[in-house]
Amino acid sequence: MTVTKIVGLPQSGHSDALLAVRDLRVSFPSEAGRVDAVAGVSFDLQPGRTLGIVGESGSGKSVTSLAIMGLLDDAASVHGSIRLGGRELLGLDDRAMSRIRGKDISMVFQDPLSTLTPVFTIGDQLVEALTIHGTMGRRQAAERAVELLRLVGIPRPESRLKSFPHEFSGGMRQRVVIAIAIANNPQVIIADEPTTALDVTIQAQILQVLKRAQEETGAAVIMITHDMGVVASVADDVVVMYAGRPVEHASVYDVFAKPRMPYTIGLLAAIPRADRRDAQPLVPIQGNPPILINLPDQCQFADRCPIAIDACRDDVPQLEAVLNASNDDDDGGGHDRDSEHQVACVRAAEIEDGGTIKGRPIFPVPEIAASDLAQVPRGERKPVLAVDNLVKEFPLLKGAVLKRRIGTVYAVSGISFDIREGETMAIVGESGCGKTTTLLEIMELAPQHGSDIQIDGHSVTGLNKREIRTVRRDLQIVFQDPMGSLNPRSTVFDLIAEPMRAFRYSSDKVEKRVEELMDLVGLNPEHSDRFPAAFSGGQRQRIGIARALATNPKLIVLDEPVSALDVSIQAGVINLLEELKARLGISFLFVAHDLSVVRHIADRIGVMYLGKFVEYGEVDAVFEDPQHPYTTALLSAIPLPDPVKERTRERILLTGDLPSPTDNSPGCRFVSRCQLHQSLEPDRQARCRDETPALTGVDGVHVNACHWR
Amino acid sequence: MVVVATNITYFLANAFLDPRTLFVGRRPPLTEQQVDTLLQANNLNSHESIFLRWWTWAKDIVLHWDWGNSPTGDPVNGEIAFRIGVSAELLLGAFVLYTIIGISLGIYSASRQYKVSDRIVQATSIITLNIPVVVMSLAIVLAAIGFNQKVGIRMFYVTGSSSADAHGFGKIVDLLQHLTLPTISLVIISYAGTQMLQRSLLLDTISADYVRMARAKGLTKAQAIRKHALRTSLIPVATQVAFSIPGLFTGAVLTETIFNWQGMGQYFIDTLNKMNINGVVAVAAFGALMTAIGAVLADIAVVVLDPRVRVH
Repeated sequence: MTVTKIVGLPQSGHSDALLAVRDLRVSFPSEAGRVDAVAGVSFDLQPGRTLGIVGESGSGKSVTSLAIMGLLDDAASVHGSIRLGGRELLGLDDRAMSRIRGKDISMVFQDPLSTLTPVFTIGDQLVEALTIHGTMGRRQAAERAVELLRLVGIPRPESRLKSFPHEFSGGMRQRVVIAIAIANNPQVIIADEPTTALDVTIQAQILQVLKRAQEETGAAVIMITHDMGVVASVADDVVVMYAGRPVEHASVYDVFAKPRMPYTIGLLAAIPRADRRDAQPLVPIQGNPPILINLPDQCQFADRCPIAIDACRDDVPQLEAVLNASNDDDDGGGHDRDSEHQVACVRAAEIEDGGTIKGRPIFPVPEIAASDLAQVPRGERKPVLAVDNLVKEFPLLKGAVLKRRIGTVYAVSGISFDIREGETMAIVGESGCGKTTTLLEIMELAPQHGSDIQIDGHSVTGLNKREIRTVRRDLQIVFQDPMGSLNPRSTVFDLIAEPMRAFRYSSDKVEKRVEELMDLVGLNPEHSDRFPAAFSGGQRQRIGIARALATNPKLIVLDEPVSALDVSIQAGVINLLEELKARLGISFLFVAHDLSVVRHIADRIGVMYLGKFVEYGEVDAVFEDPQHPYTTALLSAIPLPDPVKERTRERILLTGDLPSPTDNSPGCRFVSRCQLHQSLEPDRQARCRDETPALTGVDGVHVNACHWR
Repeated sequence: MVVVATNITYFLANAFLDPRTLFVGRRPPLTEQQVDTLLQANNLNSHESIFLRWWTWAKDIVLHWDWGNSPTGDPVNGEIAFRIGVSAELLLGAFVLYTIIGISLGIYSASRQYKVSDRIVQATSIITLNIPVVVMSLAIVLAAIGFNQKVGIRMFYVTGSSSADAHGFGKIVDLLQHLTLPTISLVIISYAGTQMLQRSLLLDTISADYVRMARAKGLTKAQAIRKHALRTSLIPVATQVAFSIPGLFTGAVLTETIFNWQGMGQYFIDTLNKMNINGVVAVAAFGALMTAIGAVLADIAVVVLDPRVRVH
């Protein structure tokens, strides 16, 4: 690692800063040239405060955190200054850094499934963290470990100490990681996307644990995330990063209420909101983030910025305090320099609070044609897909040679719904609830006994192979991972043409149609001879959508189509789906865990819990008046990108994880985690446990499966 | 499994090897009758039903632990017992040495990835991996002879496994003098495989999240590698090494031949050439047994290294 120190840096105004980062620059060698992953990051961290660092993938936020921890690859070259309580950390060798890591600064990583060593028990790993700094003996450490596990909310901590990581769920493992992070009462905790790999309900639990950990230790927290909702929920100050540089630095309220950097404004406009009905389409940011090699000296956002002027390309804009235009009236003494709010934009002064410039929005709202079908009442539209009592059970087998059945996984147990023309139906729920199995069962077109699937009014039960093939033309799928679902050795043309060739379209027709489709999904038809690797994530997902559209299907099934994409790209894909629905009258069956996206795009929603719908109805009805206790909890767990709302609303925290789906005894499946159940009188509780609730309510509009709602 | 493999080998060996050919061209020529009698004595007469021969063979093994005779009447038992000892002397030492050297160098080069020392280790491994045994052994023999001449006394023996005149403490010294050269040769040609495997597996685990987590807890890089990365990376290496044991005994043919050690490998080739059906079968049975032992050792190694399999 090459390290240079910069002497004579401007001293921070806050001498009490716990962690002071100045002009941090990190670059890596690569085959294509030097990658400048971080290019000049400076911030101060005050004790007990939380600093949120947000940005899309590749913006340098994780590299910044690893640089502070001194955990970067040896090949990385780091410049600048990182001071912890006045002590310079850059340039310390591994041995000296190891005395600081875990004791003064600790870290929570993104993926709890891989951050714990699989061959050691939880207890061993906790005790190791406690004893490595020589502050504690083994016996004392074992006692403290129990205490720590209890603090992070792990039930029966004494016996769990002897468990191995694989015996814990993801959320539980992340709690253990947090326990390890706070083991030595660190001054700074760096949390690098600590909840990205988790479900919303678990995310809410973990954020709360982190908050409690922070209160307990009085540590300052650096929260690195791409989720504006999480930032709004936990951060005091926010640094927005783009292409390795901080572009806006302000208090959390200022960032959300009066962003000054066009990138921040665009990012906020691109996020769908779970808490309100969106009257207008999302605002995507055009283009893609730059590749961090040989960047020119200019504002890196200029190429995607709708209000870029020549001055933007002259030099790299530095973070400068914002002229606080909104305070004009109190002192009348002209502009106040708000030193807490810094922006790296040459036109920052012209930008107004609502994200407008000279009264016009910076990012014009795209127009999406309204569908003709929207005028037709739902009851008069044809059902494209009708699922009746869909069941999928997997046997649990035991034994090496002779398998015997020891139980059943009730993955999907009796769900029914229908999708009409030009309609989007969404299925939401935690991972493991059976959403994807439902989709795959529908794609399989071979319902188990007692279930029925109707496509376009015709039942698929009893169809022979040829007839099933014809039905498949009306039913296409788009997968979650845009990289994995496209064969890297086929050209885009071949990829899109494949379903048409399967149905023996003539080659003239195929050629014309591919061109038409690429145009339709917003790709340049001239790029049809390229390979998927030449496209970005959002573009690949568009290729996937074009492929699904090729045979003019009536219904497209989408499995988490935008969850692998960055916010600014995601908005474009969502808009594309909406446009397709309006223009082609196509229907979507959509599976997602991001409820904000669902709220934005879906017309109807089914909330799934352990293989069953607990609530089903029109999306606005469900979101505005959630009836089932699970839906209420799920909705209240979504972090809203609005710090004021986020901090004042009441949150229902679900306890525990999703139970195992092997129990099919009567009674409500949610009973073990239900917050309503606990508040009921004993005789009413008995009904929850003994009687399976049916979906009741206004049929076809809004139904729920709770005895008491 | 050992029993099944051995019996299958018995039938295969009987199908392919014909001891009768040994007597072709004898002066004076032997009559069919005479050959039959000679072979009959050793239970190798192909005019007798194969099942009858198998029955006698199997009965002798089960009841008397007698693995039969060669066509010339030498008992296989004595030959094998002697040769296992010789092979074990040579190979077990070499095996332990090259495994330790291979794993250590693997760890050393992995923790210094892309540094000069790593590149030197890698380059050496690639070279030694590609040197034929014969070339390597002969080079060592030449070097040792050169050394002996320079020193003036016979420091290293280049052939045989022991001298006849040694006794008492001198026997051990004599053994070491004989052992050094073939062991060096075996270690040099064999360590590279283990080294490369260990290096690549350790590199995979070094970049794993849990090693970074261990460093974030306050372990130095070296500590984190030793405590957290090494163990998981050793599991597949241990399996691989344990399964290499059977190949070891019969695979060191060239080394044994060059250094003139009367080991199992040499015996295997010998038996094949001399139509020694019972010898071939015994060698195969020994190989099968070694495979079984290797599998058991691999399982033990996994249990020692990975506590998760002990839980239930």
